[in-house]
Parts: sequence; structure tokens; C-alpha cells
Amino acid sequence: MSLDHQTGMLRGFACAVGLSAMLAATPGCVPFIGYDDYPPDAYIATTAPVYFEGRPMYWYGNRWSYREGGRWNHYDREPAGLYQRRMQGAPVRHTYEPPRGRPAAGHSGGRPGGRR
Amino acid sequence: MVVARMEHPKVLNLSKMRTIATVLFGALAAVSCGGASANARPPATAASASDVDEVAAGLTEHHRHHHHGGVTLLVALSLDTLGISPEQRPAVEKIRRDLHARMEPARAAQQRLAAVLADGVAAANLDATTVDAAIAQVSAAAAIVHDAATDALNELHTVLTPPERAALVDKVEAHWSVWQKANAEETDPANPEGSRLAMLTTDLGLTQDQVDKIRAGLGEGMKAVPRLDLQEIATHIQAFGNAFRSEKFDAKALTGANGANAHLAGWGAAHLAHFVEAVSPVLTPDQRAEFAQRLREHSVHSNGGNE
Repeated sequence: MSLDHQTGMLRGFACAVGLSAMLAATPGCVPFIGYDDYPPDAYIATTAPVYFEGRPMYWYGNRWSYREGGRWNHYDREPAGLYQRRMQGAPVRHTYEPPRGRPAAGHSGGRPGGRR
Repeated sequence: MVVARMEHPKVLNLSKMRTIATVLFGALAAVSCGGASANARPPATAASASDVDEVAAGLTEHHRHHHHGGVTLLVALSLDTLGISPEQRPAVEKIRRDLHARMEPARAAQQRLAAVLADGVAAANLDATTVDAAIAQVSAAAAIVHDAATDALNELHTVLTPPERAALVDKVEAHWSVWQKANAEETDPANPEGSRLAMLTTDLGLTQDQVDKIRAGLGEGMKAVPRLDLQEIATHIQAFGNAFRSEKFDAKALTGANGANAHLAGWGAAHLAHFVEAVSPVLTPDQRAEFAQRLREHSVHSNGGNE
């Protein structure tokens, strides 16, 4: 094996280590998260938000999403305040009807207007 | 013969380095992704995809049956999950009840329509004049909902913080989007049977011959249902959203509200009636009894899910 070839391999390993370091430094391990996974309308309509930094936030698809200027945005890395809120319990949901179409005797789901 | 494999010292170093690099790569990736996922993974109680689907299906079904307050109903429904503080809850709950009280004449009219249809189905005798009068009452009652609810809407704006107002507008828009999807097939003349017939087919055990007859009846009957101007509703919702997000809000200034509410509720009532008129004649007595029971259940339940 020539010295040049060995040097090339060394560079390759260095790049691999560098890439690993970049992955470690990148918030939220970006390559493993889908970017189009924002809360659907039915989720928004049936789920209570958490208010954080002056915005309603929705926990969906393993991340916090919020509206900004008519577009959905999200945090790559979960803020500590939101993490604590999430650990307090599941989002309050409101179930309007069971999926098979027969009206429920009474509605289940979240407390109206309840804060998580 | 044993051949001793001799490696150059530099090659040995490379081999070690390969091992080190592999371990480092794995360790760093594990730390990176493990750390992120530890934060990103929901607790066991968080919403899962199946939860979302079930709740979404329930909301879709709800929007297929309840239109009586028009856009005002969407506002009232949005209060169910606004996530307000405990301090705000009594005031918002009072407003929510007030909104539903203002919609009560329209809800009662929708309930009367459902009762007329249920009785007609059970007796195999739907009286067109009575049904048309009941539809007109729904539309007329919805036309005055907004004017009756302006004080409650203004009070709601005062009680909520700017982020809560923004959340409410998001929710109204989300409800409207779900409503459109729930009724999409039925607002599309090219597909008049919609998913309501598919559900009924399963629930009542309709035969293929019955389905074909209903589909033919729907094709003719739906021509009598006035087309819903979706743009009119969307324009009103946008006007409401822009105004409600602002610091100053006056519901009385939303001049398109009464028309939008009347048209939305009126379309829903007319569509339900024509669907029932197309289905009823081809049902067996047992199926008619079951269908009538379902109509009554929905009419009793048509309080918008807020009692």
C-alpha cells in the first residue's frame, strides 16, 4: 500500500470523524427528522396548545410546532420550558364523535379550555 | 503451510485508526441522536398517530352532521381546546355557553329538521313541503346567529391574550379546513354520493342494488341542493381572523357573517334532507327503523359537543 493511498484513507477517516462531530453538534439530529411533519388541521382543531414565548405551540411528530407569519415552524432542539410542560402530561384532546359515526352519549376528551 | 501475514507498521496504525474512527463515529452519532431523541420522544401519554386518526375521524363525522351556527359554531368549537389559564376559565366558559345559547334557535331548527326526516323515514312517507319548510327555518335561524352573538364575540376578544386570539383563529381555520374535507365529496357535483353513503352502506348492510338505486337518486336529488359558495365562507373567516388578531375588534363590523352563516347552515340542512330523501325509498323496514334512529341520535346530539 502506497503512502499516498494511506494518506487518502487517513483523510477519509478524518472526514468520517468530522461528520460525526457535526451530527453531534447539529440540533435535533436533523437527518432523522422529517420536515413536513407539521400538525394537521384536525389535530389543531382538537388539541389544546401550550403557550410559550408569546405563541401557541403544538407537540406533534416528536417536536414543538408553531405558526409564524402564516407558516409553520418548529424548534430543532426542545426548549427546557416546553420540555417541562410536556413532562407534566399529554396534550388535552377533545373527542367530538367516535369514528364509526354513531353519536356519543356524552362527549369525552379534554376539559373545555383546560390548561395542560 | 502456515503463511505468516506480515503487515507494515503504517498499515497496522491505519487498522487501529480505522477501529478508532468507527468507534468514534458510532459513539458520536449515538450521543447526538440519543440525546436529541431523549428530548424529542414523547412521554408514554403523548398523542400517537392512531389517537390522531381516531380523533380526526370523529371530528370529520361531527362536521358532516352539524352546521347550524355556521362560522359562529366553528368559533364556539374552537373554545373547547384553547388551553386558557385557570383564571380565564370561568369567563371563557360563560362566553362559550352564551355563544351556544345564541345559536340555540338554529340548533333547534336543525333538530326539528332531523325529527321530520326521522319520522318520515320511519313511516316511509317524507312530506316534501314539511321538509322544505324545516330547511328554510334552519337557514333563517342561522342568518341571525352572528348578530345575536356579537357581544359575546367582543367579550371573548377582550378576555383573551394576543397569543390566545391567534390560537383561536388558527383553530377556526383548522375547523373550516376539516369541514371542507368532511363535505368535499358532497360539495363536488361529480361525486354526489360522497362518503356518507359508504358509511351507511356498512352500517345498514345495504345491498349493491340498493346502493345503485340510492346513487341514482342522489344524482338527481342533489341538483336541487343549492351550490355552496366556499369562497364566501373563506372570505368571512379570513376577515374574522384578521380582525380578531388585531388589538381592536368589533364583531358588528363583520358584515359578511350573517350571509356566510345562513348559507353554510342552509346548505347543510338541504344536503341532509336530499340525502335522506334519496335513501329512504330503497330501504327495508328494518333498515328504515335503524336509519331513523340514527337521525334522531344525531339531532339530540347536535349541541356541538359542549354540554
